[in-house]
Amino acid sequence: MSPQFVDFNADGHVDILTATFDGSPHISFGSKEGFGKPEHILDSKGERILISSFWNYKDHQHQETGRALGVETPPKERCISALAFDWDADGDYDLLLGGYEKGHLYRQMNEGTNAEPRFTGKNIAVMAGDAPFGIEAKMTSPRLVDWDGDGDMDIIAGSFGDVWGQGPGGGVFLYRNTGTRGKPVFAAAETLIPVSLKGKALPTRPDAGLYVDAADYDGDGDLDLVVGGYSMWTPEGPELSSAQQDRAKQLAAKKGALQKESLELSRAINREILAVTKGMERGSKELRLKAAEIRATHSKKTRNLSKSIRAVSQELESLVPAPKRKSFVWLYERKQVRPGNDSRN
Amino acid sequence: MIPGALPTLVLLCLAGVSFPSAALAMPQGSSLFEAPRRLRAGDTYLGAGRMYPSPVFQDVNGDPQLDIVVGDLVGRLTWAPQALQDGRLIIFAKERALKGRSGEGLKFHNW
Repeated sequence: MSPQFVDFNADGHVDILTATFDGSPHISFGSKEGFGKPEHILDSKGERILISSFWNYKDHQHQETGRALGVETPPKERCISALAFDWDADGDYDLLLGGYEKGHLYRQMNEGTNAEPRFTGKNIAVMAGDAPFGIEAKMTSPRLVDWDGDGDMDIIAGSFGDVWGQGPGGGVFLYRNTGTRGKPVFAAAETLIPVSLKGKALPTRPDAGLYVDAADYDGDGDLDLVVGGYSMWTPEGPELSSAQQDRAKQLAAKKGALQKESLELSRAINREILAVTKGMERGSKELRLKAAEIRATHSKKTRNLSKSIRAVSQELESLVPAPKRKSFVWLYERKQVRPGNDSRN
Repeated sequence: MIPGALPTLVLLCLAGVSFPSAALAMPQGSSLFEAPRRLRAGDTYLGAGRMYPSPVFQDVNGDPQLDIVVGDLVGRLTWAPQALQDGRLIIFAKERALKGRSGEGLKFHNW
């Protein structure tokens, strides 16, 4: 959820625009008293703005609709990022909607004004070069910034990559605006931060789930990047004797078995809860109390299993450190330029 | 500045003000950036342990220096005020919730 601070309704107060994994853009309107409760941005028909996938709060489930894309069988594309951008330079903010799964970017036009917007409810694909804007490794969020200093807004965007495993991670990409005022044209992606190949023994960078923003952080006249994301690393372990290697194998097997047992127990508890609470209203106090009661009957076994897993993991960790994953925020400071160097920026 | 007038950076962006391109020049084939470093806020790392931290630069307290706002997967926002600038080193104070007019931390709905 990457926030954009923008005076969306042109009342002189900064608002906060963002989108979440519920699949729609939200706005918190600012006033002199502060920010209001966030709410969905609606289109001219009063419907939620989205790409196709969304969380239905009423039905308590993920659903798809093709209404914004004009298709009967919609692809699964969840809007998880949104930006206000006056695409056609008519004086009001249109919306850019960023999709998670394929990293597609759409625009939805505002046929009203900032004070009284009328979003069309129809999405138009944004292109990058000759192809639809897309990030196969899933897009976190785009940001608008005049990266090359030519007076128009370019797009920078991060990718998720493999956020749990050891596959290639995320990167940050630039899409230059080569169009004119009111007719933006975005070029194909250039790499600003390469996709992480991971494999380090220490946290050295954000490796996956890269959320980016740009500003002149240090006031030296160029744009720096600030990037949030998960660092993923595997500390180096000690050199193991033959006996230690055998012990490590035993521990790994034991840990696997305990984790399997824990998972099976968890599934059994969930099945029991589902059976006992059948017919109860989802999210109700009655259901929560009954679920807690059932969990309590299994708590001793759950606790003992967790304790055993922790003990085995701790010993195993001392022999073979496990991969680590933790989120941080990183600064990518722009290098200082020596006179006479190539002027490409 | 929040709440109130548009912050400098937003105004500059909306007005289409650009950063000097000559200052952005870089040799081709090399990284544009210094080795990345983790930002700190107070005595901890900024955004540490948050689910998918999404930082953005923003002047929150109207001082008017760039503070950092960090969003996350569950829909919460925190911000860390810029406490000190010493040359190229910027120190951020401890993160705190970005509050709404109700006095509670802002929370954007997720599923």
